[in-house]
Amino acid sequence: MSLARGRTRRHAGAVAVGVDTGGTFTDFVALSSGRLIAFKIPSTPHAPARAVLEGLERSGAARDTRVRHGSTIATNALLERRGARVTLVTTRGFEDLIEIGRQDRPDLYALAPRRVEPLVTASRRVGVDERLDSAGETLRVLSPRALADAVRAARATRPHAIAIGLLHAWAHARHERRLERALAALGVPVTRSSALCPEVREYERLATTVTNAYLAPRVAAYLREIARGTRARLEIVLSHGGTAPAARAAREPVRQLLSGPAAGLRAARDVARACGFTRALTLDVGGTSTDVAYVEGELPRRRAREVAGFPVLLPILDVHTVGAGGGSIASVDDGGLLEVGPASAGAVPGPACYGRGGPATLTDALVTLGRLPIAALAEGALKLDPAAARRALASLAKRLPGRDAIAAAEGVVQVAEARMEAALRRVSIERGHDPRGAALVAFGGAGGLHACALAEALGCEAAVFPTHAGVLSALGALIGGSRRERSRSVMRDARDRAALERGFLDLERRVLGEFPAGERGSVSLERIVLARYRGQAHEIEVGHGRDWVAGFHRAHERRFGFSIPAAPVEAVTLEVRGGTPGEFVPRARPTRRKGAPEWARVRESGAWRRSRVVGRDTLAAGARLRGPAVVTDAGATLWIASGWTARVHASGGLVLRRSVS
Amino acid sequence: MSRTRKLDGVTLALFQGLFASCAEEMGATLMASAHSPNITERLDFSCALFDPGARLVAQAAHIPVHLGSMPAAAEAAIALGALGPGDTVMLNDPFAGGTHLPDVTLVTPVFLTRGEPPDFLVASRAHHADIGGAAAGSMPLAREVYAEGLRIPPVWLARGGRIDENLLRLVLANVRTPDERQADLAAQLGAQRTGERRLADLARRQTPRALRAAAAALIRHGDRAMRAALARLPRGSWRFEDALDDDGLGSGPVRIRARLTLGRGSLEVDFTGSSAQVPGPVNAVLPVTRAAVAYAIRTVLGAGLPVNHGAFRALRVIAPAGTVVNALPPAAVAAGNVETSQRIVDVVLGALSLALPDRVPAASYGSMSNVLIGGIDPRRGSPFAYYETLGGGHGAGPGWNGASAMQAHMTNTRNTPIESLEHACPLRVVGMRIRRGSGGRGKFRGGDGIVREIELLAPASVTVMSDRRVRAPYGLQGGEPGSVGVNSLRAPKGPWKRMPGKFQIDVAEGTVLTVATSGGGGHGRTRRPRARR
Repeated sequence: MSLARGRTRRHAGAVAVGVDTGGTFTDFVALSSGRLIAFKIPSTPHAPARAVLEGLERSGAARDTRVRHGSTIATNALLERRGARVTLVTTRGFEDLIEIGRQDRPDLYALAPRRVEPLVTASRRVGVDERLDSAGETLRVLSPRALADAVRAARATRPHAIAIGLLHAWAHARHERRLERALAALGVPVTRSSALCPEVREYERLATTVTNAYLAPRVAAYLREIARGTRARLEIVLSHGGTAPAARAAREPVRQLLSGPAAGLRAARDVARACGFTRALTLDVGGTSTDVAYVEGELPRRRAREVAGFPVLLPILDVHTVGAGGGSIASVDDGGLLEVGPASAGAVPGPACYGRGGPATLTDALVTLGRLPIAALAEGALKLDPAAARRALASLAKRLPGRDAIAAAEGVVQVAEARMEAALRRVSIERGHDPRGAALVAFGGAGGLHACALAEALGCEAAVFPTHAGVLSALGALIGGSRRERSRSVMRDARDRAALERGFLDLERRVLGEFPAGERGSVSLERIVLARYRGQAHEIEVGHGRDWVAGFHRAHERRFGFSIPAAPVEAVTLEVRGGTPGEFVPRARPTRRKGAPEWARVRESGAWRRSRVVGRDTLAAGARLRGPAVVTDAGATLWIASGWTARVHASGGLVLRRSVS
Repeated sequence: MSRTRKLDGVTLALFQGLFASCAEEMGATLMASAHSPNITERLDFSCALFDPGARLVAQAAHIPVHLGSMPAAAEAAIALGALGPGDTVMLNDPFAGGTHLPDVTLVTPVFLTRGEPPDFLVASRAHHADIGGAAAGSMPLAREVYAEGLRIPPVWLARGGRIDENLLRLVLANVRTPDERQADLAAQLGAQRTGERRLADLARRQTPRALRAAAAALIRHGDRAMRAALARLPRGSWRFEDALDDDGLGSGPVRIRARLTLGRGSLEVDFTGSSAQVPGPVNAVLPVTRAAVAYAIRTVLGAGLPVNHGAFRALRVIAPAGTVVNALPPAAVAAGNVETSQRIVDVVLGALSLALPDRVPAASYGSMSNVLIGGIDPRRGSPFAYYETLGGGHGAGPGWNGASAMQAHMTNTRNTPIESLEHACPLRVVGMRIRRGSGGRGKFRGGDGIVREIELLAPASVTVMSDRRVRAPYGLQGGEPGSVGVNSLRAPKGPWKRMPGKFQIDVAEGTVLTVATSGGGGHGRTRRPRARR
């Protein structure tokens, strides 16, 4: 890999390009004449398309280039509340549902609890005189007059986007469809709950629908802007890790809220596989937070999860985020207990070592302990100040009796790692997956700095530090195949095979129809049932086959420690997933000769050790490196602890194992 | 051990996280595998970890009313006799470790080393949808605990790893939905196993002795942190009084009176002068009262405080026996947990508002508005039981308006999705909206309540247990009180009929029940428009 930095250099026409937008940098990985080229461009948050177009230009993207983009446009619009003026059309008598939500408060002990403000204000909710029951039967018919009233009322709110969400629309869509046709006259994007996510549970479905409508105009404008600036074929990475063409992604933007992390997880899974691991824990440590996941074969899913306090009833990879990253602030509480995060020093003032008067952070602790060589962070325009880091830790240490700056730094790292460990446990052990025997894939700028400690704590067989660890999400976008998924609640007894089969055939037809004709031949389809014992409220996911019910009992037993084979099983929701294989990625080769060995003083287990500092691009396949050692890569660092040995796998990744003594 | 090394801030933080995640993993198992919507949708459960002396080490609390009341269950379990490996104690007796009968608690000893006593206890408490008694949902308008459901004193549900099938049959024969009960108990046992496994896993990495030492150190830390936080409050003594409308059986108002004393790093709440226990089911047992006090203090001091035995030690609660805040058998107690606990919070926060006028908000809606409906589902011919609590308006505070249509204080249960409810029970939700204008006026407005209208599609028994239907949630500093709640019923083709706060009635198919919950109190005087000349 070559990393272009500084001056702009244009590359010969790329076949495919992966793009990942981050807060500070936009990462590009281009596949061009059998080689991978990676580079970073400063992000342009006020006009995000500009950085993307600049990078595409530099990578030589042309008409046939497939550009796959992990985008934050939708996520940021939601977090910053900069979406469209939405009007919600819903069943009369239930206009406030979107505001009441599930009536719980986010913080149990807050004196002044606040819920996230709904994305539609009370004056933009239009009640329609109609009602279905849970079997999809009409209780109150939607009359032509009610329809006309609804259109008139919606028009009066002068919306930029419309969401339609009626009670029991999961069971039957006829009323929503008629409303959709009538409201088309308003000439703004319309999202219909029964088209987007026909699943049971009204609040979650309505909220997903409203969020989609809220994001649609902005995301469409962004994608149009990119389309105007390049002739390449643009695809967007969705929250399930696969891609969809820009036009489709623009209509259902709520599907891309986890675009970037999904791409990263996908790449991490592939790295683990290439190194021979079928089960992996992934650890992506960034500036303010850490994303973790557990993956075994298929990418892990999570249902009904929330993004920024808004439920999203659509496929999202099970990536768990904790507020512990490089910028997390370290402090001491009243009882003398050390805390790290979730507050972050952000980019300004940043950690103390940025020299702008920032607080003591995890990054400062790592700098103080020598694990983060100054050169590794200095890639940007920042000049780092290790003395400032140390001063900040010394002042923290005053509140930790018996500890000096160094011991405080060790404590900060331990506590941060404990939070990361808890997150890793949450996605593995808490969900019934054993981390022992799995590989811990550590990436992002700082993931590699915690790889050994966390692999040890969880009993992982090995840790893996991927090639391109610093731009892995862009790589994940590049290699992602295209993917479409549809689901629908059915609420049927498992024995009702004919009805389930009909449901699946219908979903399969729809999923296939969403692929371009030329791709359909390479699409593989998968059937999933979300099932439960009748009377339960939560479903578990099982693959659909002849004997899926037995599979359900086994999955229940595995996950909860018991099953009830005699109890009736209910198929709540059916889901069909279709995907095509992704891009093949060539191996990285060392590009630099070994220079004179460099050494650094690194603190470990209470003592200073002389550790090697090695550039990643000097390591050839098969090379071994014994800890303690630091490996620096473009935008990422790896700390190999004592007792661990890294070996460069033939596929390019560094595989770390406990040394055989 | 030669010398006990004092654990420093880093080690403490590490162990606090480990124990907390243990309790949380138990909760995750319980929520995902139970059957009762109470547990799975409304999250009415808690899991906790104790040392062998029944001192709380860590708790994953979804429900504040469980927070200060779980230790009593652990104490009752160890009082039963020596616990051995594979034993699990079950209880729901409000007078022996429980709160009210639907809350069934399991306590399991965890042996990390050979020999007695156990190293830890794990406990899970879940609100079961029905535990028998005079009405579906087990919260009837009873005069005695005997009518409220099956009372289970601490008993061995399992010994040496074997479930006592006889006991289980006895329990299941006394409840309305035995299959669901059995499944929920299985889920609870699964949670207990998760806790045991996780502790054993920790012990392999840390040694049992280190775990025990860490638990003790965390308790000491809790004590230090709580006293340090209390020491920052002003010293003095303040009185406050409020009341429940009635007990549902004609007695009322039911007075709660408190004197709050803040000393140097200590707090005492003296409930002397509160009403004697009453015939109706609004009597609270002492653990419930303690939980309410612990909750109120915690909200005022901030959420950063640890949740363990040590953090409760500085709190002293004086509650004379035989009063509504420390009921004795055979008092009926079903609503003590859900209604009286809310009023105790109102009173303790009211007293705190005198000490800290620029921090504490006005009263919130003050009643969980419990709705219980049971009968036979004509679609399946099988019994159904539905239980729901409704949120309301929050009190406004110095500087903020109260939130609307949200759970407050001692509960945080979610509502049942209408689509799930209508699929599972012969009920139809006719409307669900925010009760606009119900919050108290003031410089800062109280939040608004909720209106929920339900039509019954089968003959059914309906119980409503609510309060703040007569006495409104108070405002502060000149803010007006919130509107009182309103319950009403409409028989098929009949007119709307206003119902009392607490009632139980058998109704015909087609009846509609409307429950409108209170708004929160306002804060600060509204500025009057200047009189025109």
